[in-house]
Amino acid sequence: MIEVLTEHSDEFASGLWVTTRLVLASFVIALVLGTVVAALRVAPSRWLQRLGALYVEIFRNLPLLVLLFISFAGLRRAGVGIGPWTAGIASLGIYTSAYVAEALRSGVFSVSRGQVEASLSLGFTQAQTLRQIVLPQAFRTVIPPLGSIAIAMVKNSAIVGASLLALPDLLKQARIVNSNTFQTTESFFWAAVGYMLLTVAVTVLFRTLESRYAIRR
Amino acid sequence: MEYLFSPDNWEWLWTENNARFLLEAFLINLEIAVIAIVIALAIGLVLALLSLSTVAPVRLLAKGWVDLFRNIPLIFLILYLALSLPESIKQGWEENSPGFLPDVLRGQLVLAGIMGLVLYNSAVLAEIMRAGILSLDRGQREAATALGLSYRDQMRHVILPQGLRRMVPATVSQLITLNKDTTLVSIIAIQEVVRSGRVLSQTAGNPFVGGGDVQAPILQVMLFIGLLFVITNYGLSRLSKRLEVRESRRTAGVRPVTVSGVEDQAIPGTR
Repeated sequence: MIEVLTEHSDEFASGLWVTTRLVLASFVIALVLGTVVAALRVAPSRWLQRLGALYVEIFRNLPLLVLLFISFAGLRRAGVGIGPWTAGIASLGIYTSAYVAEALRSGVFSVSRGQVEASLSLGFTQAQTLRQIVLPQAFRTVIPPLGSIAIAMVKNSAIVGASLLALPDLLKQARIVNSNTFQTTESFFWAAVGYMLLTVAVTVLFRTLESRYAIRR
Repeated sequence: MEYLFSPDNWEWLWTENNARFLLEAFLINLEIAVIAIVIALAIGLVLALLSLSTVAPVRLLAKGWVDLFRNIPLIFLILYLALSLPESIKQGWEENSPGFLPDVLRGQLVLAGIMGLVLYNSAVLAEIMRAGILSLDRGQREAATALGLSYRDQMRHVILPQGLRRMVPATVSQLITLNKDTTLVSIIAIQEVVRSGRVLSQTAGNPFVGGGDVQAPILQVMLFIGLLFVITNYGLSRLSKRLEVRESRRTAGVRPVTVSGVEDQAIPGTR
């Protein structure tokens, strides 16, 4: 069992590192886009709200695999060739941003209406109210759901590596080790341990954030 | 933009029977989803009950099982099963699978795909159901015990009807996720819609493999497939919203539950 790990530790380590970078980069994108879309969904204009809702409904209901094919093979065929890293990070980030937006929106609604009214009557603009009063509290309310989303993201990152993109992530490395050693159970076992390490790390991180910053409602 | 909307690039959709080819493949996805959902719900309920058992070893085992399978990427499970299921089992499925299934679903690797979907989703659903049951007020269980109901009757008439109602939104979200995840079996070469889309984009316009002179660019093919999923899943989520509204009228004040690790949670507006 252990020989597969010791003899192929380079493959597993580089796979783990690729998966980690993929998840980190995509999570940043998901947070930024998700915040923008959540802001759209609670904007004072009806049309902006609809735009935000459309975004969420599209990307929450679209399989990630289809998104990956659109962004990599599809765009390449259209003459807009983007690399596997860009396509992978963008797809995973955009896909997850819809979930982030939904979580944040519910966080925004948990901030009491009185605070918004107070802020507006103090002369803050709508945008200032959202940015300085509502969103900071919303973020702190939705730390646990964001943690769930991050864990789901670690798991979804395997889809990026498994599709046709040339991204040697943890799962792909396990398949490479498997095809070299024919020890399927062993190679997949160690990759599973890698994924567990990542999900446990994310869990611990968000628990810490939660105990430090979360607002309980 | 020009490339995207140019009629030349969409011509494939109404030539020959390309659209029908994709729609029939999409039906395979829906069939896989239904099969996996039914089995995963049943196993999920059993796992949820086991993980609430009063017998410590049973409880720990069930919890360990659930935590293991819901923390492993689904695609990982599917690939592993496809590679490691014994030949005899794969062939057994090919020869003995029920005849009413379409041919695509009687292939050797289908079992690995469905098993992966079931293992992963039953674990996630078990966790959702467990949270639903635990969210009930302890008084419910105590009252049922005081009334002299047996464990079975408590579960059937008191705990499950209320507990499961609370997890309807979370369950439907997970079912939508499962529906999307059926595309993952394309990676083990099951001819469902994404695989068919790739085949179509490679064969259409290629006379050497029997394609006509109309090309099917993969961008447009995948956009069409994506639309199919968006429509179906949007329909599903609307349906669950309506159920939710109806239920909340019947059981005022019941809040949906949230479960860690499930990407799409029914998060209550104010807690």
